[in-house]
Amino acid sequence: MTGTILTPEEVVDRFSAKFGTGIQEASIREKREGKKKIPHYTIWIELDRELLRPAIQALIEIRYPHLSVIAGNDLGDSIRLVYIFSIQYGEIRSEYMVTLAVTLPKDDLFVPTISDLIPGAVFGEREKQEFFGVTVTGIPDGRRLFLPRDFPEGVYPWRRDETGIPDSMIRDLWASKRPTDRPAPPVEEKEACEIEGGEEKPAEPRGKGEEEGSQ
Amino acid sequence: MIGSWELALIVLSAVIVTVYGIVVGLFLLGIDRKLAAHMQARVGPPIRQPFIDLRKLLIKENVVPDNAIAWIFNLAPVVALASSIVILLYLPIGSIYPPLGAYGDLILVMYLLTIPALCMVAGGFASGSPYASIGAQREMVTMIAYEFPLAIVVVAVAWRLAAAGIQDPFTLGSIAAHPIWSVAGPLGIVGGLLLLLVMAAVTPAELSRIPFDTQEAETELAGGLLVEYSGKNLAMFSLSQGVKTLVMAAIVVAIFIPWNISSLVLLPEGVALVADLLFFLGKVILVMFFSVSLVRVAMARFQINQVVSVFWIYLGLIGLVGLLLLMADAALPAAGVII
Amino acid sequence: MSEGEGKKAPYTLPIGPTHPALKEPVMFTFQMEGETIKDVDFAPGQTHRGIEWMGMRRNPVQIVHLTDRICGICGVVHTLSFCLAVEQIAEIEVPERADYIRVIVHELERVQSHLLWAGVAAHELGFDSLLHLTWRVREQAMDVIENITGNRVNYGIVQVGGVRRDITPEQHPLIEECLTTYEGLLSSLLDLFLDDRSIHMRCRDRGILTYDDAVHLCTVGPTSRASGVNMDLRQDYPYAAYGDLDVRAILPDQYAGETRGDVYDRIVVRLLEVGQSCGIIRQCLSEMPAGEITAEPKIAKLLAVCKKAHGEAIGRVEAPRGECLHYVRMDGKESPTSWKVKASSYSNLMSWIPMLRGEQIADIPIIVASIDPCLSCTDRVAVIRGGRRNILTKEELHRLSVEATRRLQA
Repeated sequence: MTGTILTPEEVVDRFSAKFGTGIQEASIREKREGKKKIPHYTIWIELDRELLRPAIQALIEIRYPHLSVIAGNDLGDSIRLVYIFSIQYGEIRSEYMVTLAVTLPKDDLFVPTISDLIPGAVFGEREKQEFFGVTVTGIPDGRRLFLPRDFPEGVYPWRRDETGIPDSMIRDLWASKRPTDRPAPPVEEKEACEIEGGEEKPAEPRGKGEEEGSQ
Repeated sequence: MIGSWELALIVLSAVIVTVYGIVVGLFLLGIDRKLAAHMQARVGPPIRQPFIDLRKLLIKENVVPDNAIAWIFNLAPVVALASSIVILLYLPIGSIYPPLGAYGDLILVMYLLTIPALCMVAGGFASGSPYASIGAQREMVTMIAYEFPLAIVVVAVAWRLAAAGIQDPFTLGSIAAHPIWSVAGPLGIVGGLLLLLVMAAVTPAELSRIPFDTQEAETELAGGLLVEYSGKNLAMFSLSQGVKTLVMAAIVVAIFIPWNISSLVLLPEGVALVADLLFFLGKVILVMFFSVSLVRVAMARFQINQVVSVFWIYLGLIGLVGLLLLMADAALPAAGVII
Repeated sequence: MSEGEGKKAPYTLPIGPTHPALKEPVMFTFQMEGETIKDVDFAPGQTHRGIEWMGMRRNPVQIVHLTDRICGICGVVHTLSFCLAVEQIAEIEVPERADYIRVIVHELERVQSHLLWAGVAAHELGFDSLLHLTWRVREQAMDVIENITGNRVNYGIVQVGGVRRDITPEQHPLIEECLTTYEGLLSSLLDLFLDDRSIHMRCRDRGILTYDDAVHLCTVGPTSRASGVNMDLRQDYPYAAYGDLDVRAILPDQYAGETRGDVYDRIVVRLLEVGQSCGIIRQCLSEMPAGEITAEPKIAKLLAVCKKAHGEAIGRVEAPRGECLHYVRMDGKESPTSWKVKASSYSNLMSWIPMLRGEQIADIPIIVASIDPCLSCTDRVAVIRGGRRNILTKEELHRLSVEATRRLQA
């Protein structure tokens, strides 16, 4: 760890000096909260896919960053992955967030793994593979993470196109009614259940219970 | 030779002892739970809770896993319960002489004590579950660990009695008739206290209670040995757990605190019997409180290797020191040294 | 089964998806040799509810109530970090008083969460007396939270733009009393947990996470601090009112003089943080400014502002378990285009593998619990019989349980 603490501007300057036009956009956003309005900063950087790994390398040179998470957007014809880091933690108000965003066209959906640089990234990469359908090349562990084993292939829950969750997979549990093909219960239905039956047939509040009882 | 009249008497007393063992054993479990609850600032279940649990278990379905060895699986709880009741037949209850007291001694009791544990091991291995298998292995290791200190205690006490010239030192009858404290001198009493400590540590291990409950370890093995047991079989095991609690407490009472009310106060015969019985139960509850309830609320569970080192190293050493003190106690006065 | 017969035969020990060692479902597969763990793999997702998917079809005010329910223990951190993100996008200025109320509830939550964890840890060690003790004293924090927010769990106090309830002067003595109790209890809690021989035996040098592993595996919160990583958002990246307060990360060497990164150190960090939180709440109560508690009390107006908002932002807070992060992107529609929830445990789960390797079966429960995992609840059940796997829906589960009851009654 180096003792010097860079300002957010210095961080951005380092990146633009190092990668030049590969950096499509870089901005610093500041937020102030509380009575003293002490600022904290988020640095947003858009870059080319090829520069992702060198950029992370550059972050590591500043100080080993903490990878919070990899987020993503479905922008229609492309997927944008947002790698959210924080650097320079450990001293009072010294930390900045650095987000590195890469845009991947949907007909060429791959991104190199960063898990050799940051081993903890495997978790997020596995998740992006199953939720966005992004191929992470060189991932050491490509299994599914959160989705069940029998989740259909080619369905990616966070996509907003035809590969997203189809309506047929959505179960509106709130809309499920009392089942009708049940044997009659040995004891009388409770009050609460009768009210439910009553809502369906307001004219005949006890109708449902008796009907079942007679079967 | 056993006459038919004597045989009938033994059978009758066996039936009575069975009922007594089960009822008292279950109450002991209930009292233990209540005491522990109060120490943990809880209200706790009613004392008759083990009876309610038993009734519930008996009406529940008895599931035998597909890959279990059914006959061992079903036999183990029965044998475990039966063998723990058999031990009771060798132990004095208050001033009542044990029904089979004439046919076995402390050595036999020690062997019989291993049978319920072995049954649990067999049942565990027969369950066909990895949790139960690990539990069974741990139970075996624990058994091997606590047998050594237990043997030291038994041998030391019997040896001291023999050194004092008492006949049949291994029979519980003569141990009860000649309490170690009245036989031994000051050194011997210190030794005896050390042995009592060892015995108090062996008791929770024998009963697989915290801190020595690695074989059942709820949070690790989900019940370990008993993980696959349910319904009737589990009820048997919980009965044998109750009986074993009574057995272990009764052994401690018989070896270390055998006094009876009737020997201290003069009472009419019928009253004396009842008074002795109540006094005995009081002592049993006291022993259980100190070596089971108190220990289990005050400690965390050990790992299996820690169990072994506790018994072999620490308690083994304490036991040996106790044994040496008892030997010195017997040998020094004989050699003419005045303490 | 043949396990246990061979002395050193490797075998597989499954723990999960549900098991008494796990307070929430996750599937572990251990490669064992005797009692020693050779290798370990785990599969989360036994509880995936698709909350993010649901959120991307709801408006921010609806999501606030969804975030309250992401976790049963951290009722405020998810909502707070979501609101921080939305407020940045929509450029809503939160009143100062609201910042302070947020911090007070946030810290009370940390107190109750750490006490809850301490109880669970004691239970995992088989030390139930401590479980009962800590959960009993935890009730006071729960009562105060209920008094402030109206709820024991799912507080529903944080709203986009501020908070929904004020802390009145009458409530101050109640909170003060609670803080005094905990400050008084802290030394005995430290005594009970840290000086107890059997806890020491079971926790010292168990489940070690080295400094390097903690950094490389991106761990957060007490898990990383116990390994000596100086990282606490309240210190590094002060949000809400933390910029006004003096908060320093708690590291185990402040208590024990050394950092080993074991389970014991994790207990140290969490217990000390209980005391720290009490101090923070006290400071907040005395310095709380007067004023509004929300930027926009009318929900319809608030929604209109959010609907016009464009952009992306990150809200993150230091939850009891570590950094909790919400990434939100809004494109001028009613619901956000993207919403990614990163709960604290998401970052910590990977650290199980180096912690568990080489340890014993007996250590599994406490090591698994030592990162305070939070995996949330399930909406599906998988049944495997004869190699076939079925997912049961809520209706089927209900039907099966009704049938089972009828069978017993027959």
